[in-house]
Amino acid sequence: MAVTLKYPFVKLEAPPEYRGIPHIEPRLCIGCGACVNACPADALLKIDDHSTGTRKIVLDVGRCIRCARCDEACPTGAIRMTRNFEVATLDRSDHVEVVELRLHRCPNCGNYTDYTERALEKAFQILPEGLFDKEELRKKAILCRNCRRKLTVDDTIEASREVVG
Amino acid sequence: MKEWARRIMDEKVREKYVNEVVEKFGDRIISVERNADNQWIIEINREDLPEVVGYIVNHPEWKETQLSTMAGADERPLRGKFSLIYWISINGASGDVFLGIKTYIPEDDPRFPAVTPVHPGAHWYEREVKDLLGLIPEGHPDPRRLVLPDDWPEGVYPLRKDFHYTDSPKREFTDETKYPYREPPKGTAVFPLGPYHVALDEPGHFRLFVKGEEIVDVDYRLFYQHRGIEKIGENRLTYDQVNFIAERICGICGTAHALAYAQAVEAAGKIEVPERAEYIRTVMAEIERLHSHMLNLGLACHDIGFDKGFMDAFRIREHVMWLAERLTGNRKTYGMVIIGGVRRDFLEYRRTMIEETLRKLREEFQKWVDQTLSTRTFIKRCEGVGVLSYRDAKRWSSVGPWARGSGRNFDARRDHPFAAYKYLDFKVPVHKEGDVLARCLVRAEEIMESIWIIEQALDEMPGGDILAEWKEIPPYREAVGFTEAPRGEDVHYVMTGEGNRLYRWRIRASTYNNFPSLPDAMRGNTVADAVLIIASLDPCYSCTERVQVVDLEEKRARVLTEKELIELSRKVSRRV
Repeated sequence: MAVTLKYPFVKLEAPPEYRGIPHIEPRLCIGCGACVNACPADALLKIDDHSTGTRKIVLDVGRCIRCARCDEACPTGAIRMTRNFEVATLDRSDHVEVVELRLHRCPNCGNYTDYTERALEKAFQILPEGLFDKEELRKKAILCRNCRRKLTVDDTIEASREVVG
Repeated sequence: MKEWARRIMDEKVREKYVNEVVEKFGDRIISVERNADNQWIIEINREDLPEVVGYIVNHPEWKETQLSTMAGADERPLRGKFSLIYWISINGASGDVFLGIKTYIPEDDPRFPAVTPVHPGAHWYEREVKDLLGLIPEGHPDPRRLVLPDDWPEGVYPLRKDFHYTDSPKREFTDETKYPYREPPKGTAVFPLGPYHVALDEPGHFRLFVKGEEIVDVDYRLFYQHRGIEKIGENRLTYDQVNFIAERICGICGTAHALAYAQAVEAAGKIEVPERAEYIRTVMAEIERLHSHMLNLGLACHDIGFDKGFMDAFRIREHVMWLAERLTGNRKTYGMVIIGGVRRDFLEYRRTMIEETLRKLREEFQKWVDQTLSTRTFIKRCEGVGVLSYRDAKRWSSVGPWARGSGRNFDARRDHPFAAYKYLDFKVPVHKEGDVLARCLVRAEEIMESIWIIEQALDEMPGGDILAEWKEIPPYREAVGFTEAPRGEDVHYVMTGEGNRLYRWRIRASTYNNFPSLPDAMRGNTVADAVLIIASLDPCYSCTERVQVVDLEEKRARVLTEKELIELSRKVSRRV
């Protein structure tokens, strides 16, 4: 049984189970940061810029240890391990993938929240049918944390006035 | 559970050991607490440390008892004191017990009497707590630095809680910070080996004091690669993340470390692992042993210039690597073990793959053994070389094939059945000669046993879940996790903490217990055999190095390339 392979002169295909380098599919990524929390090696970073309202999910394959925790953590299947193992390069920036997403903006105060528009849409999408009045919920959910709190308090005061009045 | 496992895991057998210690030391024991199924923590005063630890380790009836690990911790935020815990394991199939001898040390007087004079196995551990925590072992025969670099400032202790993990003290290398190597004995020359060298796993510096070709004594300096993994594990990583870093402690026995860590946390958090996961863990641990032992046997052949055996061993080994790649997604760093179970199941086609590979492997490996053992050069070069006596192996608490080649009948798989080993039957090969050949034979026999263990495990593997759910682990609970890595017993000590993080994590790889006994095995041998002896301890190799030969009397230095050293080594082969 010979085991010597002609690689790299002959292209080598990794087996189907192989854990190669991860790749983010930008169309699926909602920027929730679950992969960032799971990553033991800090290969994934979440960088928010509240002045321009963008979130960057940065994947540096050079730091990746191929443990595939991000793959398990991702709620949308955006980050997946590929079977690609050839990562040698002369330019370090070849290792970096950046997904840029828009942060959600509160329509009331105009501040950026700490979640993305896509994450909010995803949350609406996975709500179980028939439990909530979706339109009512949406009115409140699109506000930022402070405005929502204020609205709740205002509503309560309003309601108590009605009771007292 | 098999009969042999039931016998040593019996409650009465376990309590016998604890009771005897309690009876012997009576009111000098402050408290006894059972922290896990097979683990007891006995608290004593620091003055009694050498006596209690020495009593258990050197007990005439508990033959294979040994110091498994020792951990110091900075418990000042909790209790205002430092703590030390010596974990002693009862081995030799006479009871599945771990005894943790714990003592507290006040902050204003960080001293304790050293255990090393009564049991040299504590040598490194006590030097390490001195470096990392600033606890001074009084009466230690060799109080030099062990872990920290030469230019690390005095009085800065990285494992103390007030040292942040991103801190980096100012370091300056001067003549004063140079490591105080031992003076060579009279009439000897120094033969430096390493730090970068073909035969060493990590960069390690050996100073062979030679008289002609004979090695008279050895001094060493290691820990060039201390990466502070424990500190990262305690500060930055969550319980689940630590597993993957633990797997990357060692390039060869990664699963053994990941498993030891997972078992420690499971013991501390009382997490029940599904039976199927235990079987899968067992199979992965054995696959790792297969390729690790084949690597070592191949390299032993390479060192003596028997390259046919080397090539053959690596050819056979490659199939195991490919198998691992199909099972787990990678040749190494399997990423299988996490707290509570494993991540990938063995589907039916994977099972067939294992069976097929094993069948071929058994046949080919048997051929390899027959061929190698009938090669006269191999036998002549290995026989009687690098003899480690039983007494030395026991004295230094050596583990694994290194100790089993010297007649120590001790294997964590049998003596402390973890994972699924308690459901399986297997032998523990032991040889008494203590030379390189004995260690090679132990490894060769273990490969055959491993194949047999995997076959049994595949046959008996039950269905069901592979991962247990766990929510929270109670803080400040202590436990050890232990596995038998290819190189010997691997022990991880954990103390759980708050906020999904560890409070203290102590890793003890098998080589940590084996290295201090290396000088004993090297004394009296020739320089040409030095590489072979170091290799028989089974460190990994890095291959682009050189050694420097210094002749003290003629004050002339010459650099030996790797090629020349191997050539020198092979000349000896030709002579036999």
